[in-house]
Amino acid sequence: MTRQPGVGGGAGGGAGRHGDGRKDAAAPVWARAAAAGGVPEATGPRAATATGPVSPASAGGPHADVAYCFDGTLEGLLSAIFAAYERREDPADVACRANLQPRLGQRIVDIPTDPERALRVQRGICRTCGPASYDAVKCASLSDDPRAGTVAYRFVRHAMAAGKPRACASCKRRSACDGACTRPGRSPLSDVAHPAVEPLVRLSRAVYNERHRMMQFLRFEHLEGGVWFARCSPKANVVPLLMDWFCGRFNTQPFLIHDEAHHLAGVYGGGDWYLVKTDQLNLPGPAADEAAMQRAWKRFYRAVAVESRYNPELRRQFMPKRLWKNITEMQEDAPGKELAAARGPSGQWEHGTARGPSRQIPQAGRRGKAVDPESGDGAGLSTPPSGQTGG
Amino acid sequence: MDVADKLEILADAAKYDVACTSSGIDRDAQKGKMGNTLAAGICHSFSADGRCITLLKVLMTNVCVYDCAYCVNRASNEVPRTAFKPRELADLTMAFYRRNYTEGLFLSSGVLRSPDYTTELMIRTLSILRHEYGFRGYIHAKAVPGTSPELIGALGHLADRMSVNMELPSQESLRLLAPDKSKHDILAPMRQIKDNIAEDRDTRALMRRETTYMTQVRPKRKERAFVPAGQSTQMIVGATPESDFQILNLSAALYRTLALKRVFFSAYLPVNADARLPASDAVQLNREHRLYQADWLLRFYKFDVTEIIDEKHPFLDPDLDPKANWALNHLDFFPVEVNAAPFEDLVRVPGIGVRGAKLIVKARRTASLGEPELRKLGIAYKRARFFITCRGRWAGKGADFSREGLRAQLASPIEGGRHGRRADRVSPNQLSLFDAVETSEKTRIGRVDPPDRGLPEAPRAEGRTPSGALLQDAGRAGTPPRGEAFPQGAAGPAGALPQVPEAPWPLERKSA
Repeated sequence: MTRQPGVGGGAGGGAGRHGDGRKDAAAPVWARAAAAGGVPEATGPRAATATGPVSPASAGGPHADVAYCFDGTLEGLLSAIFAAYERREDPADVACRANLQPRLGQRIVDIPTDPERALRVQRGICRTCGPASYDAVKCASLSDDPRAGTVAYRFVRHAMAAGKPRACASCKRRSACDGACTRPGRSPLSDVAHPAVEPLVRLSRAVYNERHRMMQFLRFEHLEGGVWFARCSPKANVVPLLMDWFCGRFNTQPFLIHDEAHHLAGVYGGGDWYLVKTDQLNLPGPAADEAAMQRAWKRFYRAVAVESRYNPELRRQFMPKRLWKNITEMQEDAPGKELAAARGPSGQWEHGTARGPSRQIPQAGRRGKAVDPESGDGAGLSTPPSGQTGG
Repeated sequence: MDVADKLEILADAAKYDVACTSSGIDRDAQKGKMGNTLAAGICHSFSADGRCITLLKVLMTNVCVYDCAYCVNRASNEVPRTAFKPRELADLTMAFYRRNYTEGLFLSSGVLRSPDYTTELMIRTLSILRHEYGFRGYIHAKAVPGTSPELIGALGHLADRMSVNMELPSQESLRLLAPDKSKHDILAPMRQIKDNIAEDRDTRALMRRETTYMTQVRPKRKERAFVPAGQSTQMIVGATPESDFQILNLSAALYRTLALKRVFFSAYLPVNADARLPASDAVQLNREHRLYQADWLLRFYKFDVTEIIDEKHPFLDPDLDPKANWALNHLDFFPVEVNAAPFEDLVRVPGIGVRGAKLIVKARRTASLGEPELRKLGIAYKRARFFITCRGRWAGKGADFSREGLRAQLASPIEGGRHGRRADRVSPNQLSLFDAVETSEKTRIGRVDPPDRGLPEAPRAEGRTPSGALLQDAGRAGTPPRGEAFPQGAAGPAGALPQVPEAPWPLERKSA
């Protein structure tokens, strides 16, 4: 048994149209096999396809060569998933335009973002697979990994086929739940070794790990006017996940978190928090006590180390060097500090210095690694190409 | 002296207190007050020795009337002494917290005038933080041995975690090295904290229930819980000749009788010249590591202390972690069938930890697990394959299933020896490039030359310190080193071999 997409094209409706919840008898072959199997067989085909999400292109089916292109947001991803069911297609890739690497002979379809459809997909996933699955799909949309969209789509296909939607008519919490049901149950995510589930679990764990690292290493500066400002460049778009935490923690002070890698700023001013997609920041200067506090912290940091237990390898393991440029006490030792010196104290390039190499802002879709598109090697941050850093 | 100078001196003094975590309690934010906590704890930074910095760890004062042998701040040492004013410290804590540098405050102290006086200063600081500033972050307070019970009670209502240092693993050692502290002085506060925690928990449980009687127990104003994140303690290993057997049995007894959250071990770092202290300079980091591994087995892997260590082998194996050692001594327990064994059996497999066992139990509900699935789950398959079967198939080819064969597999260096601290990888007969390097601690203590063990101890020039050097609070575990950055023993004249210490534990060296 191989995982073939519907032979002869579009055999019947998708496995449960959203908002419908009915399991169609004419579901595509892969959905039927998974649903009927109960416990899926763990021999043969599983092992053969264990390397990653199943790609119909490799199976050579007739609908192998379509890719969906969405706008990179969560709503866009959910609209693309909706479109796959609506058009009865099985795209080989689902990605945003920057991440998409078209295969040979692949047709690219642009999916418009529709919030209403996205909401239907959200409700369908929550009712059939549980809120944890929806949370995992949300993480995939926040990830920088170029395959995140495809992984999320594969998971939703598998999870909707494998799950039974809850009977909302008899649920006593129906009036309060608004469709995004929060009752626990057997979740498709618990089948951790399945080839459709495992990449998503790994992706969502990576996003949450990056979020935790930002909770650890964000450093706020006190600016004139009472605003607290923090800068970060995480490997995943985690500012939306951080704002709730910091709004609780610092609810008495207004603050701003700027994500340089994703050109996003999270703003809290006392009420609800909101996100701004921008790179232009006009910041006031530091407050009067800021320099003294930073100095005191750096002195504390140096005083705390025990020299006879000196272990920089262990420190680097816990605190990766890529984060050092935004950590107050590590800024002198951060890699690439001669470039940082060329920037002004506000982080903007000084007038008169040449503009830094474009690798400073990692390209979206390159897995967060800063690669200079002009230079030939993608080996990451080595010495900057000559002639690009000014005096 | 301004606050930054005081901070440097008192942080330097507090750094040997390893018991620093911000875990144990989840506290939500409240509108109008600053702060919250996460039960897992958040490590905001990591120092150059690899340890996590999560709290502002300082002493209230490094003045001390006690004279413990291992402590640099002992009364007979000459070091710059200072103290925080309560308001200064509270402001500093809030300033660091608002910048997300720390999760809160870790407050310990040397003994100024008397334990009660010192504790009152600490209570003043914490009440400014909690009541005036409305601080909802994490506070860890170290109780001074010998404090009166009322003050311990007051302190406990302001702190999230409390601890009392056990200092040394036995009463004889305590009498020898810290004669000002008695066993009773240390254990009485610990028992009181434990009893108060239990009583507070019961009272709150009672208050939450809707009872018609005992409604007068419900207070008008919400009171803070007593030490909600529990109690911990700390002891120095290597300063005195206790074996690992004694230390682990003591830990197990403490967990059982005092309901501690955690026992911390601190490798002895030599700083003072004292006839009562060991002559060796070796820092037993590997021993500390093995003790922590054994401690984890007691707390998370449901091992009994008699399974890990016994009187015939009173020291833990330096080359092998205690769980692997147990596995090698009980080969009749293996192989374990991954698809059928209970959780307690799965965690006994070398290479499968608590997280891996939970994942296995979760994943095997929907599918039976074979080798490819196990490899994806994130267990150390290379290590575990000798001890497990997947659906009856054993993939342990490559080593004979005997104690020696498996020991060769399990004790082999990680990544061929490339993993780990670079300083530990220098082989013993090779001169290290770093021996000649002037480290700041060598200059601070005033002994730039490596020590020569043949000569009688020269009068030490302690106190000849630049600002912020060579200080330690009384009652802390561990001490600053005597001037080597790397635990290689004295280099001596060029070409001399590092010396083997008298202690049963070898120097920190791994054969690459």
